[in-house]
Amino acid sequence: MMVSANRFRSIGWIALLLVCAALVMVLAFRVNSLRSQVHRTELQIVALRKEKLYLETEVETRANQQQLKLWNDVEFGYVAPTAGQYLANERQLAAFAKPDGPDSPEPIRVASADDTVAAEAAFPSVISGLAADISAPATSTDEDEKPAAKPADPADRVKAAANLGARLATVAPIKKDGKDAKGKSEKAKSDKSKSGKDGKSKDGDKKASLAKASKTTKDAAAKPGKGAKLAAGKTEAKSGAKSGKTPAAKSDKSAKGSKPGVKLAHAGSKSAP
Amino acid sequence: MNSLTASAAIATGRVQLANVRQNALVTARVRALWIMVLFIFASLTACVRIAQLGLFEQTPERTSLAEALLPSRGEITDRNGIALARAFASYSLWFNPKAMGEGGAPLVKTPEEVARALVGIFPDADYADLVTRLKAGKPCYLRRRVLPEDANKVFALGEPALEFPREEQRFYPQGSLAAHVLGYVDEAGKGHVGMEQVLEPRLLDPAWRGTPTALSIDARAQGALEDELGRGMMETMAKGAAGVILDADSGEVIALASLPSFNPNRSDLAYNDLVFNRVSNQVYELGSTFKPITIASAIDAGVVTDLSVRYPAHPLQVGKFTIHDSHDFGASLNVPEALIHSSNVVTAQVADKLGPVALKRTMEQLGMNERPTIELPARGFPLWPHGGGEGGKGDWARLTTMTVSYGHGIAVTPLHLASAYAALVNGGIWRPATLYKVDPAHLAPGRRVFQASTSARIRQLLRMIVVDGTGRKADAPGFRVGGKTGSAEKPGSGGYRKTSLIATFAAAFPMDKPRYVVIVMLDEPQATQQTSGQRTAAWNAAPIVGRLVPRIGPMLGVVPDAHHDVDISDLSPLVGSGEGE
Repeated sequence: MMVSANRFRSIGWIALLLVCAALVMVLAFRVNSLRSQVHRTELQIVALRKEKLYLETEVETRANQQQLKLWNDVEFGYVAPTAGQYLANERQLAAFAKPDGPDSPEPIRVASADDTVAAEAAFPSVISGLAADISAPATSTDEDEKPAAKPADPADRVKAAANLGARLATVAPIKKDGKDAKGKSEKAKSDKSKSGKDGKSKDGDKKASLAKASKTTKDAAAKPGKGAKLAAGKTEAKSGAKSGKTPAAKSDKSAKGSKPGVKLAHAGSKSAP
Repeated sequence: MNSLTASAAIATGRVQLANVRQNALVTARVRALWIMVLFIFASLTACVRIAQLGLFEQTPERTSLAEALLPSRGEITDRNGIALARAFASYSLWFNPKAMGEGGAPLVKTPEEVARALVGIFPDADYADLVTRLKAGKPCYLRRRVLPEDANKVFALGEPALEFPREEQRFYPQGSLAAHVLGYVDEAGKGHVGMEQVLEPRLLDPAWRGTPTALSIDARAQGALEDELGRGMMETMAKGAAGVILDADSGEVIALASLPSFNPNRSDLAYNDLVFNRVSNQVYELGSTFKPITIASAIDAGVVTDLSVRYPAHPLQVGKFTIHDSHDFGASLNVPEALIHSSNVVTAQVADKLGPVALKRTMEQLGMNERPTIELPARGFPLWPHGGGEGGKGDWARLTTMTVSYGHGIAVTPLHLASAYAALVNGGIWRPATLYKVDPAHLAPGRRVFQASTSARIRQLLRMIVVDGTGRKADAPGFRVGGKTGSAEKPGSGGYRKTSLIATFAAAFPMDKPRYVVIVMLDEPQATQQTSGQRTAAWNAAPIVGRLVPRIGPMLGVVPDAHHDVDISDLSPLVGSGEGE
């Protein structure tokens, strides 16, 4: 019995050894086959890189400076841009904007700004005055809020100027509904809130002019209210939008039948000078 | 015993038969054993081989990926990574007379027919030379760098003796662009003339040749410079032209051209007179372009403190020599007018007041007394005027000082002038010119030659020359170009030759904050219809700058602006509208 058990064990050990050896063999074969695959791939990479270099060189040779010059002379006739074709800064770009005429069609505005960027705008006097007239009654005479109407300090202006490019580049889809006030530009918001107010007090007359607004700027500067902070701060902007939201939606709805929704957002600025 | 058995077997046929059967069985077993042994041996061999292959065998010529892609010679690129020179396996045309076996004719057709067909494919090939080579029956190159389509055409001739080995050679994708900067590589693989020679150790070093070497050259600006120089040269029928664009602050050479040029791709033809570099190797008397340097030196030394002071403009007698101006500018001129109208007489008087010591020191600080500082191997030694004293190292004579002040009696390379102008306009720091791309944070240490205030004043004066003076044709709108013309007669046997001029325009732009210096020079321009019958720099070299700057400015980051300029309002009242007073 003992003998057979020993024998059985040794046979077992040998079998195990054989199985291990076979497994090692299989593994080694697989490793080596993989290795040769890698090598083959490397050779392929080398061949492809050489081919790429060859093609690249061919393209560069066919499109070298002298050749391009010849083509330009014969075919294209491009010339270097002149000074008039460059814009030095955003101010020059803004100078191209045309003021609206009395009966000119409404501009389609697609540039918008999210509140964080708009808050850095720091264009205080006009917008805050306008907004003050709209969203805050003249009764608000908080002494604490007076500094908000002061012109922004130069650092803010520099910051705002630096961000102008980013703000102009922000594109948002045109919202047809006045309810989506959040996605619209700051100006659109203030316009809307104005139109909303007008709509409420003057039976939906949406032709409130900026001229009128500018008249009230003075008052607003002296007595800045909630709206004075509209341009300066994020939360204020939101609150301004909120305050104008309901009436704006109301006036939008009332005007929907006659005008397309896109224009409605700018109804307040229609007769701006 | 054997006999017994045999007899028994014979005795009984049964025994005999059993014996035969036994024998046959043994034979069969032996054979089966053999076959088995063979099979075992074969399978063992196969197993051993499989194990050997699977476990130990490595591919014999195993090279790493990096090694396989390492070029035989490093790539040279421009500052933006555009390849200017690279190792490239191109076809060659090799004549192998033994391709059709020993004995018999090496070619199917006659050598004349084959040569004629080859000339049809390569029009610039020499027919007689080809016939000689084909007849000689010795293996040789018939042509190097054959385009694939041409190789196909040659293959279509059906001559087995014409072979196309692919060989790694130096290839310049941009053709002759920046040929003098790059140089060329000969058939033995050795670099010559330009950076191919200078960078040779690096380009061949296995540790370095994998990464491209970036030069300071901008291929686009180089192309524009060569194009405009070539046009100017053609319009004026000049013998040659040279041009250099230098970064005013870092001293990097953005473009450097010497025309006529050569094609580095044809290394067999490259070594000729055209490899001579007019920018760094040829010295010229550059004439009036030296006047701003003299004035700057005088302002810096406090000799010229008031720019409104007027100097007599009559021809100036110095010993036996008389200094003239090109025109009569009236009785007197102040310094701005002298620069605008390019008056030798007034500049000479300023230099006389300044004295030889100060002017010489300025010239030495600008490196005018040594070879130009650049990596190129071909650098010309200036003709530096002898001074008095032992070995000519003393002070200059009065007349020498005066002639040097307007660029005569001293001959330097256009590159010297470019570096000097960079120092004039960049705030007064002279830096060596370099062909390596420089990191702006690690500029080469410069030396202060002029005060910053002097440099600012010179910027105004150079701008005035272009706005109101001889450099008007260089005034590219919006680029605020400033510069000075120089038209110097070439010395010949028996004095200066009136009709052989060196016309130079030394410019910088934009003048409110100079970034680039441009030097354009024409060698012996002729008076032609395009130059309105004139041969001076105002009519031939200045227009080249006027056309070149708008082409390179936007590419080099200088935006034209018509509403921006250097303020010259304090100097404008000093300049009369006429031709001086």
